[in-house]
Amino acid sequence: MRITPTKVHTRIMMVFVAFLCVFGLLVGRLVHIQVLAAHFFMAKTSDLIRRNIPVPAVRGAILDSQGETLVYTASAASIIAVPVQIKHPQQTAQKLQKIIGGTEQGIEKLLTQKAAMVYIRPRGRRLDGAKTKAIRALKLPGIYLTEEGRRTYPYGNMAAQVLGVMGGEGQGLTGIELTMNQVLSGKKGYIQFVANARGQEIPGTNDEYIPPTPGEDVELTIDRQIQQFAEREIQNVVAQYKPDHVTLIVANPKTGQVLAMANYPNYNPASWQTVQPQVYNRNLAIWQTFEPGSTFKIVTLAAALEQKKVSLTDRFYDPGYYEVAGHRIRCWKAGGHGSQSYLNVVENSCNPGFVQLGERLGKEPLFSYIKKFGFGAKTGIDLPGESKGILFPLKRVGPLELATTSFGQGVSVTPIQQVMAMSAIANGGLLLKPEIVKDLINPETKTVAKTYPSQVVRRVISSQIAAQVRSALESVVAQGTGANAFRDGYRIAGKTGTAQVAVNGRYSGTHYIVSFIGMAPANDPRLVAYVAIDYPRPNGPVFGGTIAAPVVGNVLADSLAYLGVQPSVTGLSKKYRYGIDPAMTTVPSLDNRSLNNAKRTLLESGTILRIQVVGAGNYVVAQAPKAGVKIPQGGVVRLYLGNSPLAKS
Amino acid sequence: MRSQKAADLLIPLVTLCLLVIGVLMVHSASTVLSQERFHDAFYYFKRQVLFAVLGLLSMWFMSRLDYHLLQKYSRVIVIFCFLFLVLVLVPHVGQVRGGSRAWLGIGTFGIQPSEFAKFGLLIFFSSWFSQRPDRMLFFSKGLLPPLLVMSAAVLLIMLEPDLGQSAVIAGATMILIFIAGAPMKHLWSLVGTGTLAFAGLIAAAPYRLARVLSFLDPWKYPDTIGYHIIMSLVALGQGALLGSGIGGSTQKHLYLPEPQTDFIFAILAEELGFIGAVATLLLFALLIFRGMRTAWRAPDRFGSYLAAGLVSIIAVQVMINVGVVTGLLPVTGITLPFLSYGGSSLTLMLTAVGIIMNISRQAKAG
Repeated sequence: MRITPTKVHTRIMMVFVAFLCVFGLLVGRLVHIQVLAAHFFMAKTSDLIRRNIPVPAVRGAILDSQGETLVYTASAASIIAVPVQIKHPQQTAQKLQKIIGGTEQGIEKLLTQKAAMVYIRPRGRRLDGAKTKAIRALKLPGIYLTEEGRRTYPYGNMAAQVLGVMGGEGQGLTGIELTMNQVLSGKKGYIQFVANARGQEIPGTNDEYIPPTPGEDVELTIDRQIQQFAEREIQNVVAQYKPDHVTLIVANPKTGQVLAMANYPNYNPASWQTVQPQVYNRNLAIWQTFEPGSTFKIVTLAAALEQKKVSLTDRFYDPGYYEVAGHRIRCWKAGGHGSQSYLNVVENSCNPGFVQLGERLGKEPLFSYIKKFGFGAKTGIDLPGESKGILFPLKRVGPLELATTSFGQGVSVTPIQQVMAMSAIANGGLLLKPEIVKDLINPETKTVAKTYPSQVVRRVISSQIAAQVRSALESVVAQGTGANAFRDGYRIAGKTGTAQVAVNGRYSGTHYIVSFIGMAPANDPRLVAYVAIDYPRPNGPVFGGTIAAPVVGNVLADSLAYLGVQPSVTGLSKKYRYGIDPAMTTVPSLDNRSLNNAKRTLLESGTILRIQVVGAGNYVVAQAPKAGVKIPQGGVVRLYLGNSPLAKS
Repeated sequence: MRSQKAADLLIPLVTLCLLVIGVLMVHSASTVLSQERFHDAFYYFKRQVLFAVLGLLSMWFMSRLDYHLLQKYSRVIVIFCFLFLVLVLVPHVGQVRGGSRAWLGIGTFGIQPSEFAKFGLLIFFSSWFSQRPDRMLFFSKGLLPPLLVMSAAVLLIMLEPDLGQSAVIAGATMILIFIAGAPMKHLWSLVGTGTLAFAGLIAAAPYRLARVLSFLDPWKYPDTIGYHIIMSLVALGQGALLGSGIGGSTQKHLYLPEPQTDFIFAILAEELGFIGAVATLLLFALLIFRGMRTAWRAPDRFGSYLAAGLVSIIAVQVMINVGVVTGLLPVTGITLPFLSYGGSSLTLMLTAVGIIMNISRQAKAG
């Protein structure tokens, strides 16, 4: 056998065919990469070569229910430097230094950092308009300006825990700033450029600016005016009683909207770093849990009435204690209230009476109503850090636990839970979810982007029973332990609470949480208000009726006046307590007459009032308070003087 | 001199086309890097033009020089090749570039002995096979000697180390042995031992293993060993069907290392698209076809073997280079003939074309 030229030729052919096959394979591979999978690699390229400098969006404002701004972002630009794009760091630093100050070396050091982008801290952040303009005019390569506003609080400390605080990178940390963070933040924009492998802009390519989408404004259910009433009252309480904590909530019982939510201690969100974390982290109105004490009797009463276990006209004899499982549960009043109707039991906040109601109900029904009223579970309000409270596990409830629970001991609840339970009484029996956000508003079009409607959780009691409870609570204020909340004409209904705080497993003799929960007007409540004062330090004895009730009275009366609710004359009138309550007298009509005539009229009316004149002239054009208003004897009526009667419009 | 006919004109024509594309692509691919390194966007372009002119002169000269002279001096040539291969390994004599001691330097110009050895060995084998063609039928007399010579050369080149050149030399030698008529049973046993040897080489140096790993799954090592392949694939994908136009590559902006040499095909495919890439491959295919036709029609065995061997070098390099660029093969480091930047590579490739032209000129009719 020989290797003939033919054999060589055959093998050359074979090699050539093999080459062609390999080339075919290569072409096939190119088809795969460049045609079939091209989009995949293009996406990779885009990731690879496009560098984004994020441009933060302007954060949305937080408004009150009337559209008043509570928090907004004041416009301020910050410098962003992209080090790899800066060809002459020293010159750039020099030019920047002339505008923003600081040291050239310091700025240059930042400009030469090995980072995709750096902020020129601290002087290059949140610049004013003139500096912004000057820097923009320089058109320095690698130097960009980005909007980085400063959160501003026109009302200082107001509603601080509700609004919440902002972290350094523009993210909400607490309160609405946290729960609504996504809505408020908007969407980041970008300055986008095409970069080489070192992050330097490739010459001849264009920067692209993708503008940020500003965050939406969040309109709260909070009413600035009512919030201010609440905070004013808290300040007064703090000045007078030096408590550890105070929390106050005002809500609209028909909608579940929270109109005011105030806490003490509070802080200015603009400088939250200077206060203790628990002050800005804890919104007491939803976080704090404690034994409610007597305000919880409302639940027991409503349950007993709904289950037809009692009628308010039934009689009850209180010897000063009630014996349960061998224990004597004492009434707060030594010697007891004696013989009384169940309406009196409620008015007097008589513990033995409520223990009996609890016994009549039995543990399953009572606890089922407690749960139906929303206790032992979060209300679901759109605020962070809510507690759910603690109830006895049903299998551990014996007669003693049943007894204490029925007058508000041995359960642990939050203020917001109590407000929502009271709202159910106020609105005719429906438990609502508390709302703190009213709607979202597009900052550019000023149109409502989303509304947060009221949400009914469940019906708890019938509207008839709710009305009965309301009238019982009205008489608590008019004739019982809630007297200090009475405001003539506003028909306030409510209940006091005084809970001892357990310290090291024993009830402390000095540490109380006094509270009052009220609503008005009792026939058709527009408002529910609740205050809890933790560890008040008064000179006299500690009772919810003396410390907490006036707070709710003031807040409800002022708020109703602000809402334009007219005082009514059909409500229960107040029982006069000799030596405690001031004697009240009705202001006569003194305007639209000469000053002398007014003085004579006042004398002749027999009311014991003093006159204070305002202005000059001999004709009374107006008076304050108006005719028909009741004020304490010895009070002052201001007469506004003029020279002639006002022209009738 | 024998009868002088006109050479196969398609061969220089196709070569010229590839050369023009290559010079343009070297320029486009290297501007950023040239600017970055030498503050002269035309640095690589100017040098490549110079190499091209030198290469074309050499091509013209070789097409006129009777290739039988190569047969006459084949022993001298191969001895010199080995001399240089040894010389380049001597520290201070051989220059290290890119991790390999593969250059004998004259200023900024360097020659790669392995490039010369590649062609020298093929000339030697063609001569040796054609002297007594029938000894290829015997393993020890026919197959073993050229294998030993080749192994010696590959061993020296692997000491540089240069895996790509070794692969090309081994590949082209095997093809030539096949064409020279070695029995299939010998070849199969060679394939077996060759595979084992290759595995051994890879096992000997961990970075080769890493390269193999990166080729299997580049996305797993995007920042290290998979980087080249990813950047290359991204360039191809970015080019898509029609390409981003001359100068429109983004991968040359320092993403793809050395875009003007081993990865020039990636930049070409990015700027000229699938169409341009396939057209380039077709030009190569045409050149290979005309080269093989020349081998087929050569007047004697030496011419036949030499043409086939030189064409095989071109073909193997194209296949390995494009295989690497498209992610089908591990990164080896081999130039794309006529297109990649590089003095030794370009001038010698053009010289080889000149030799093929001379063989075609002496072709038998039919």
